[in-house]
This record gives sequence, structure tokens and C-alpha cells, in this order.
Amino acid sequence: MNEPKLDPHCEAILQEYRDNLPAFQEKAAAIHQTLKDTLAGAGLLVAALECRVKTEESLAGKLALKGGKYASLKDITDIIGLRIITFYTDDVDKVASAVERLFTVDWENSVDKRKLHEIDSFGYLSLHYVCSEPDFPFRFEIQMRTVLQHAWANMNHDTGYKSGVEVPREHLRNLNRLAGMLELVDEQFSRIRMDITNYRRKIQALVASGNLDEVPLDGDSYRSFLQLGPFDKLNRRIASVNQAEIQEVSLLAYMPVFKALSCKTLGDVVKLIKEHSEAAYQLACYQLGLTDLDIISSSLGPQNICIAAILKRGFGAEGLRLMFDQIGGTAGGNQALAEMILEQAQDLPFMNQK
Amino acid sequence: MEVKIVTEGTTTTVSFIGRLDTPVSQEVAAKVEPVLEKADGIIVLDCKEMSYISSSGLRIFLTVRKAAAAKGGRVIVRDMNPDIRNVFMMTGFLNLFEIQEG
Repeated sequence: MNEPKLDPHCEAILQEYRDNLPAFQEKAAAIHQTLKDTLAGAGLLVAALECRVKTEESLAGKLALKGGKYASLKDITDIIGLRIITFYTDDVDKVASAVERLFTVDWENSVDKRKLHEIDSFGYLSLHYVCSEPDFPFRFEIQMRTVLQHAWANMNHDTGYKSGVEVPREHLRNLNRLAGMLELVDEQFSRIRMDITNYRRKIQALVASGNLDEVPLDGDSYRSFLQLGPFDKLNRRIASVNQAEIQEVSLLAYMPVFKALSCKTLGDVVKLIKEHSEAAYQLACYQLGLTDLDIISSSLGPQNICIAAILKRGFGAEGLRLMFDQIGGTAGGNQALAEMILEQAQDLPFMNQK
Repeated sequence: MEVKIVTEGTTTTVSFIGRLDTPVSQEVAAKVEPVLEKADGIIVLDCKEMSYISSSGLRIFLTVRKAAAAKGGRVIVRDMNPDIRNVFMMTGFLNLFEIQEG
């Protein structure tokens, strides 16, 4: 490949770059790590965090085109370049706040391209900061944009739009139409996320206030419900049979079983717990009473509630097998287990009460 | 109780042969401990030749599960006989593990 011919001034800048390349690489890695740790610490999930140090070839190309513009290497701000790609448009601002806290932003040279568009134009949207740190003499660039803005920018780049080659007006118009559409999609994603967050808050408030009959049973509401410890009392009672320790585990697997038992609201689950707690306890006493097993998991409470409800409603061994298939996956041994529980339960008071 | 450990690629199979009861549990736990280092892969707890499991045995299984959860690995409990499966059920351990049958 032909090296671009550089004048002595540009050649001096290029030599300065070569001399400082290890420092650039070290600094880029440090900035990358700082950003990674900060975003993770703030719970900000991003699609990508890219970091690169400009190659000598790329810098030489830049100098060949507009080297006269730069007095020294310090005037070139993109030797180190980072790009943070977010899922949501709102997160671009959050990421920007984090960057502002971490580094000194050169506001004169930073651009918020999101604000540059006129009301009747669409196109590349990105937030672009030129930053510095006191212990490093060179500036660096951080670009922040959403996944969709990133996709559009890449597609746009592929058309050669910026290469000076004239692209037919029709294609440019199509690209801009696409930019407008992606902007709307980005907005919709953010709105959906906000709606889901609001729904979760509302459900949490309803759960906390005890209006459980009004709360539909779904993944979010059930999760909030579990924070109230609805099975704790039963688990403690069962544990007392053998003075067992209780291992806390996730109880999310039981939500589909409660749904299958016709629970439509959290209030229905509460009723089910009240109705079958005694039977669930009887079953545990029968099974554990003659053993020395002194450890149980917190899923024993909901498991036995469901077993009792299935048996009392007459769903028999088939119902139990379906429950075990649901919570632990389909296994041949589930049928035998179901039949054994059914047989055990025949001796228990709850199966013999009219 | 005999414990056999075989690692192939990212899968480590721990086979328990005999009774995993309280008297042997410390020795078994010591044998299983090095396996926890590999908890970022797949750990198969093979119960095909296990005839009994006590609370101490369940605690060993729980330790493996916790290590795998911390390291993003997978634990499979394989080939439990009906008695062992019953112990898992009546302690609420059944849905804590991925269960496979041979």
C-alpha cells in the first residue's frame, strides 16, 4: 500500500505519535477500564463499549488530507477514541453524566449532534465529547449513541456519503427517511421501558398496600409478592418438625403452577395459601417426621401447598406429575414420585375430610 | 462411600457410590471441594449407584449448586433412584437442580 507523502511538519507530528504510542495504548486501556467499572457500578447496561488507538496509517491519511490544520499532535483529539453504545436513548444522557464526572470535557470542541437537526431534517445523531485528564497531555474522544443510531451511522458510512462521492438524491432521501424512523423507534423503546417501570411501581405499591385482589398474577407482581415472604410462616412451621435449617431459594418456578391452579390475582394465591397451609404441613409432617433430615429449602412450602391443592381438587397423580414436570422439567421419575405422594396422602386427614 | 471424579472438557462428573450419610460426609466434601474450582463449567452429580443421602449429603449438593451459581456454571443431578428422589422432594430440593435420567 502506498504511504501518503507527508511534508516535514506532518512527518514531525507522525514521529511524535510513534514516540507516544505506548502511552496512548496504556491510557486507552485505563480509560476503557474506568468507564467499564463506572457503568457497571451505576447499573448501566450498555450494548458495547469500544476503544481504539488510531493506527499510524490512519493518522498519516488524516495528516495528508488536513495536516496543516494541526500545530502539534496535541491538536488531534481522536488518537484515543471510545464509543459507548446504549440500548436506550435516555441512557445516552446517563452515560454522558458519568463521562462528565470522570473526565474534564472540552465543551468548545464537544458536539451534541442530537441537537443540531432542524425540525425538518433527520440524520446522524450522536453525542461526542472531547475529554482530558490532568495526568495525560493529550485529549481523547468519547462518542455516545444508541444501538439504532450506531446502525444508521454504519449504514450511512457504507454508502460513501462522507467520501465526497455524490450519492443520488433519492438514496439520500431514503437514508434520511430511515433516520427519522429509527429516531421514532428509539423513542418508542424508551417509552415502553418507562411504561414497564411505571407498571412495576404501581404493582409494588398495590402489593405493599395489601390490595392483592387487584393485582394480576404475573412475573413482576409475583416477584414483588415474594418479597412479603408469603410462605415464610409455613416453612418455619415445617422446619420446626425436625428443627431444620431453611435454605432460601428462588420461588419463581411456582408461579406457572399457581396459574395452572386458576390463580388470576395475588389475592387468589393468598387464598390458596390460607386454604391449603394446614394440609401442606400435614404432608410435611408425614414425610419428614420419621427422618432425621434437618435441612429444607424454602420451596418446600409452595411445593406442598400446590400438592395439597392438586390432590384436594381431585387432579390425582397426573396433576402432581404435571406440577413436577413444570417446576423441574420433564422426567420419567416424576410419574413414580407423583404416585408415591398420592399413596402417602391417602393416610392424611386432609384427604379424608369431607 | 466411594467418590469418582472424571473431567472431560468442561464437564466434570462426580459419581457417588454407596451411602452418602453423615459419618462419611466430611470425607466426601473434601473430595468434592476441588470440583468447585470447575464450577464455571458443567458439573454432573451422578447418583446412579447412590443408595442413601442424608442432610449432610444434601448440604454437599447445595455447596456445588452455590459455587456453580456464583461462577455461572450448570449442575446436573443424574439418575436418582426413587428413594433419593423422594428425599429431594420432601426437603424441597427437587426443583433446585437440573435433573436428568440415563
